[in-house]
Amino acid sequence: MITSVITEALGLRYPIFQGGMAWVSEAKLAAAVSNAGGLGIISAMNLNADYLREQIRLCRTLTDRPFGVNVMLMSPFVKDVAQVCAQEKPAVVTTGAGLPNAYMKEWLEAGIRVIPVVPSTAMAKLVERAGAFAVIAEGGESGGHVGDLSTMALVPQVADAVKIPVIAAGGIADGRGVAAAFMLGAVGVQCGTMFLCSQECAVHDNYKQRVLAAKDIDTVVTGKRLNHAVRSLRTPFTRKYLEKEFDPGTSGDELEALGVGALRKAAVDGNVEEGCFLAGQIAAMVHEIRPAETMIQDMFQTAEALLKGAPQWVK
Amino acid sequence: MTTFETISKLIAETKDMDITTIKPEMTFADLGLDSLDVAELVMNMEDELGVTIEISPALKTVQDVVALVDAQKK
Repeated sequence: MITSVITEALGLRYPIFQGGMAWVSEAKLAAAVSNAGGLGIISAMNLNADYLREQIRLCRTLTDRPFGVNVMLMSPFVKDVAQVCAQEKPAVVTTGAGLPNAYMKEWLEAGIRVIPVVPSTAMAKLVERAGAFAVIAEGGESGGHVGDLSTMALVPQVADAVKIPVIAAGGIADGRGVAAAFMLGAVGVQCGTMFLCSQECAVHDNYKQRVLAAKDIDTVVTGKRLNHAVRSLRTPFTRKYLEKEFDPGTSGDELEALGVGALRKAAVDGNVEEGCFLAGQIAAMVHEIRPAETMIQDMFQTAEALLKGAPQWVK
Repeated sequence: MTTFETISKLIAETKDMDITTIKPEMTFADLGLDSLDVAELVMNMEDELGVTIEISPALKTVQDVVALVDAQKK
């Protein structure tokens, strides 16, 4: 059994979070992960406060274990969504796409543990100072919005920079990744792409099939020109987008407009021509659709065996 | 060096931009600074100026930062 400050403080059986993925991380998936002993997370994405409240309440009917909410700080509804979190009091709020400092006080007063996703040591230090319980150091191997640093380089540097617990994310889909993350100084992991292919995930089947069919080099990063780098599977959409991105004749606004709604088309409609299928570099390591519980159990069984076997390298 | 000059220098270094284009009334967004850049800049300013800068919605322009730093230096 692998335990850490994360399992102990949050009452989890396994130190694993399911990433807050827009149009993917709904109450049903979050509840399945929480019931399996990890921390399920509902994505507030860019929808309004009513959606989030409904999802939190639905999740409570599906699990009596702790779960979290991911707040996307660039959402047009971020203020209302932040308030719903303070009212509904999920065990954890994770944040993405910015600095959550403006909302930290109301969340902390509500007794919520705030765990921001950070792509740099400076951001980790700032959120630690504002009262974050832990940080999720997410490397650029992950799917969705990505920073420049890789997990291998980022996690130990963040672990050195702050005193609060560090959770590693980006490029982790099996027990080897978990064991490595702990060696780098993390005390927990967050996985997204793997859970996309869990049985309980309600994303369109075409999306799951694309992930299952992916090979190691099948993800690309788009949007660097707009300062919104996003990793997704190579598709007709990304080909078209990248052509425009490198075309000086295409304005930033045109490029921005091209991306609007593309994730929804992938996740909800399963549109393989026009959809943007966010996924991390480990997509090729996900081979089958399985229950979230089986995924987590296998992962930690392997991690435990690997960590126990570590002395073999030391003579 | 005035506080504005020091802060302009740090912004210019962080974003690799021409220092003469930085004006007091410019916002972080005008300067093309995202949250990652702002965090980096805050840490650099704290190291260089020996002050503590708390991120808040009130902190929008270069002048806001200058005022915050000057208030702490007094």
